[in-house]
Amino acid sequence: MSLPDLARAAGRAVLPSRGRLATAWALATSLALGALAGAPGISRDEAAVLAAGAADAARPATPLAPALAGVAGAAGTRAGLSPVRAARLGTAAAGALLSALLALAAWELSGGAAALLAPALFWLAPRHLHAGLVATPDLALAALALAAALAWRRALRTRGRAAMVRGAAIAGLLVGAAVLARADAWIVLAALAVHGLGAAALARRSRDEDDASPAAERDAGEPPPAAVPGVRRAAAALVAAALAAAVVAVAGWPGGLVAGAAAWLPARGEAPLRAALVPLLAIPVSLLWAYAGGAVHGVIRIVRAARRRPPGVAASDDLLLLCGAFAFLAAAAISGAPAGARPWLPAVPFLALLGARTLVAASVAAWPRRATAVVSSVALLVLYPGLRATAVAFPLGTSAWNELAGGAPGAASAGLPRQDGGDAVARLLPALNERARAGARVWWPGVSPSALAAYARGGRLRADLASASAPEEADLAVVALDGGSRDAEYRAWAALRTARPAAGVYRDEVPLALVYARPGAWR
Amino acid sequence: MTVPAPQAQGPSDARPERPRGPVARLVRRELELARATLRGWGSLVARAWRLRPPGPRLAAIAFACGAGIVGAAAIAAQTRLPSRLPSARDWDAVRTLVARDARPGDAVLLSPPWAERAREVLPATAPVLSRARWSGEDLLGVRRVWLISIPRSPGFSWDLELDLLERASRSAPAESVGAFEVALLDLAYPIVPLAFLPDRLAGAHATLGGVPCAEDPAGGFRCDAAAAGTARVARDVREIAGAARPCIAATFPGGAPLELGFPPVRVGRVVRGHVGGVLGAATAAPVRVAVVLDGEEAGAAEISGAGWLPFQIDTTRFAGQPREVSLVLTTPAASAALCLEAATLP
Repeated sequence: MSLPDLARAAGRAVLPSRGRLATAWALATSLALGALAGAPGISRDEAAVLAAGAADAARPATPLAPALAGVAGAAGTRAGLSPVRAARLGTAAAGALLSALLALAAWELSGGAAALLAPALFWLAPRHLHAGLVATPDLALAALALAAALAWRRALRTRGRAAMVRGAAIAGLLVGAAVLARADAWIVLAALAVHGLGAAALARRSRDEDDASPAAERDAGEPPPAAVPGVRRAAAALVAAALAAAVVAVAGWPGGLVAGAAAWLPARGEAPLRAALVPLLAIPVSLLWAYAGGAVHGVIRIVRAARRRPPGVAASDDLLLLCGAFAFLAAAAISGAPAGARPWLPAVPFLALLGARTLVAASVAAWPRRATAVVSSVALLVLYPGLRATAVAFPLGTSAWNELAGGAPGAASAGLPRQDGGDAVARLLPALNERARAGARVWWPGVSPSALAAYARGGRLRADLASASAPEEADLAVVALDGGSRDAEYRAWAALRTARPAAGVYRDEVPLALVYARPGAWR
Repeated sequence: MTVPAPQAQGPSDARPERPRGPVARLVRRELELARATLRGWGSLVARAWRLRPPGPRLAAIAFACGAGIVGAAAIAAQTRLPSRLPSARDWDAVRTLVARDARPGDAVLLSPPWAERAREVLPATAPVLSRARWSGEDLLGVRRVWLISIPRSPGFSWDLELDLLERASRSAPAESVGAFEVALLDLAYPIVPLAFLPDRLAGAHATLGGVPCAEDPAGGFRCDAAAAGTARVARDVREIAGAARPCIAATFPGGAPLELGFPPVRVGRVVRGHVGGVLGAATAAPVRVAVVLDGEEAGAAEISGAGWLPFQIDTTRFAGQPREVSLVLTTPAASAALCLEAATLP
């Protein structure tokens, strides 16, 4: 019995069926996300989604996230939930879908143990959990990108040409839906194209090998593909997918046609090298180890297949996962994406699948007779740091940095961002409600007015507190510190005649938001 | 018949083997032991190498062991982080220390600069200053510096302390207070201004192109000269070159001089100041700053470029007497928005 067979057998012995496991993951994810959704603050980008507007004039808003938030918000408020929590339930649904897809795909790749691990490898990072708790479109994009890749894989494995084109069109519809979540999701099509051509090349090599030695020994652990894609089949599938994606994108977002090229490119930020390093510093280092191991394992399998050695054409799965991950990582790095999880988040499900497969395979190969114990131990050591970091960072997930960065203090020393668009001020609201003078005028630099309106609608901000448009008109200033310019804070010092905060929110001694008050305005 | 062996006659020429001392014997024995130990380890390694698992399994073992090591290191790093940072008791202790020993002319400097809970916790008697670097920065009015460091915090650097040691000395070793290290430094050449002009803006007057400006109820002046345009002048604190700068923020049109006249202040050898563009301007508009004392121009500086740009006007011939000081700002650009700091120095 081969090692993958051993892993699958062990999984079958202790786990329910893959459908039940995927359902269990989906339920657990939706319950957890729904329960925790009320805690995080509202960033500028999320406020734009909640207000169905655009946070950035150069990047017009795509419609999926506001629509999802609107539908979920309407349903949730009827059920008695607060407006913000209700609007975030759409993301919880996307999170449940993502967990189920991860479990199903991991089971198919390497059995039940991987199906248990893959969703955990995705969720146990502070920023990834945070993305599942807010109404920004990134988690929906991650789920749709993974769904599109899996549909594409299924299509290429279909025997009949018509069925293959139908499957590819379904993948295209999912890409189109992903474009409605974030315009730069068209990059998934590029990843699918690279995969289609690569899979065709791998299939040709595998066919040549089979023709040369019909009795060639196959890797018993690799399920034989249902069909072997050729270049023409892959091209036809790609055309079908691209057409379907274009139809959905244009029909769902006609404004995108006139939005200009900037709207369709990844968000621009700072230097490319810095953008490439950010994921390395934002993901818990034990998860990075698993992701990196999975990626290297995938590359090795592809190289072996290219040399006509096992796993042969089955390495096209590795190619698909690597293309999916690399597309978003490379786009984020090349464009110098803003430092945060959002640009590269859709790459992580692919990396989690690769990592889960490699963790299981390595544990089984390292000690076959004690495979279950080794898998459990290694999984514990990989997942526990992420779990701990996620629990400690909650609900300030966007302020979390990993052990390589030195946590929030090390990141602050390096000048990395401290939060994502003013969401940390939510932690100051209870103190503000309790101690601000009645009718006080508050200046909120760095916080979206839509976010303030949402806080007020949800009862998190006292209704009698008025917003001031300038520090000179304010009794209080609530300043969000994002690691960038502090000019607004210094203006508040001058206007309120104090540089001494009345209260603050700190993550490991790094200030994230501060309140300044005129004498008498803070009780 | 057996021939008897020849007997040695007399003393031999060969040198007799000297009995080894105890140290030599000990060294020799230890060397042999070490050699045997190395041989043992070597054979163990060779045996392990002979019995090594095949490449893929070896890689799998390495990956699993690596995952264990990385995971354990991550847990250790996370659990150790709070102990590397100050606790509430540490902050209380530092507050007590500063409240007890701080004197007028003292300032608190933070290292690393993000440790700004100090603003909330420390007594108001010593202003808290924080910059990434102090090289080339004036410390107006500061005679002694309390350098409060968190040396075990991640990303900590001694750069800031090195910057200070270029201009200050320590009379006593740094004191450890929990996670803090507190050092008291005396500046070698403290710069104590006779008058810091932004603080005198409340009693000043302003004109734009010769037209008097009205006082703004919110503070400062609003100028509306029909021919020249409009201007706004206020006492402010702005971020220039990555630091908070208390200054006079002035927005004024090109072509018309903006004159700020201050009530009589003591004048020394120089009027020194800085100019920087506000609102994130990458390059400040070129500006001419003239210093006028009792109606006579003492000197002027042409300033252009980005950052916090210094100027200095010699006022030696006016020194020693309180005099009316005016700053006259002109720009050839369409308009300028700048942050102006000036002080009379002895």
